[in-house]
Amino acid sequence: MQIASKQIDDFKTERKDITPPLPVILRLVPLLLYCSIIIAVVLGAIFFLQLQLAIKKREGHRIETENIAIETQKTQSERAALEAEIKKATDIEAWVAGSRPIQPLLVEIARSMGARSSLIDLRIERDPDAPAQLKLAMKIGTDTTKQLDTTLDRITSQDYRTFSPQQNLGRGELDYRATLVSRQQRTPDVVPETPAP
Amino acid sequence: MNSKHIACAIVAVVIALLVQFTLWFQNSRSAMQRQAETAQFAETAAADQLARERVQLAELRRQSTDLIGFLKTWQPYFESIDNAQSAEVNYTMRVKEANLVNLAQRFELGTVKNNPSIPTAMRTYLTFEDDYPRLMNWLGDLEVKMPTLRISSVRLSKGTRPIDLRAEIILEHPLLKK
Repeated sequence: MQIASKQIDDFKTERKDITPPLPVILRLVPLLLYCSIIIAVVLGAIFFLQLQLAIKKREGHRIETENIAIETQKTQSERAALEAEIKKATDIEAWVAGSRPIQPLLVEIARSMGARSSLIDLRIERDPDAPAQLKLAMKIGTDTTKQLDTTLDRITSQDYRTFSPQQNLGRGELDYRATLVSRQQRTPDVVPETPAP
Repeated sequence: MNSKHIACAIVAVVIALLVQFTLWFQNSRSAMQRQAETAQFAETAAADQLARERVQLAELRRQSTDLIGFLKTWQPYFESIDNAQSAEVNYTMRVKEANLVNLAQRFELGTVKNNPSIPTAMRTYLTFEDDYPRLMNWLGDLEVKMPTLRISSVRLSKGTRPIDLRAEIILEHPLLKK
């Protein structure tokens, strides 16, 4: 293989050659250098562009991930706040459900007394563990249980059901005890009668 | 070995360095591309988590609409009197305004069971002896004007005079946790 010495540098100066020429195969070394430089530059440019793109892509994803993480945290905070509100609402609802006015019930019981009967003692207490339940204890001055039936009808008209009733009639007095449970629990759509303060 | 051989060796070293540099550059690019892919996976995972959180929040909002509406309606009533002193003054004033025969009046701060949002309640122990309509009207009016009020106990019995009614009442006023 002949390689023109004018076109390819063979590391010779213009001085008279004092060393023997390189073998032909070693004359490929400069050609290899040129090719290496060209390939290194081209590949380097490609790799550099790809590296820059990858850096840009990575940073873009990283920023986006951070934004999403902030958004997620915000959503989690909102959910935690909402859960706290729900808990509070549930607690308030439980209180309201156990605070149904009992004055109308008292009035109904008192009004149910007939001409020959009298209400000697009336006690209504809320169960501390289940405030929606009322423990009724009353002593009626009467000789028959007819008065009790009338009174229980009036209690039922107030949307209460009686549980565990106990009655004892003797000496013109009737003792009656029962647990009253409201049929209509206060639900979230119930609003107070008075305007908000 | 003459100077030409040395020059060849140096050039060969330069070529090797160039190849090495190119390979190093390629490795750097590949590593960065892997990092970019990892970052993309992380972003996708984070976006999925965000989507799940949003769905859960929306579902929770949907489910709790009534309850939150209920809270918005009732909370002002609970917040209007939110400490023991205000509650005491309020009930004292209401008893005085009613001009009922008040035999006894006592206030006590009590705990409320199973209600973390309302840990305490002001208990008012009242004993009246007055005529039936006045007492019942006052009690009914009190329950309407103070919708958060809970009558925890009431005992009605005959009073000293035939027209009088003796009423022993325990009122509970909720005190919201601050």
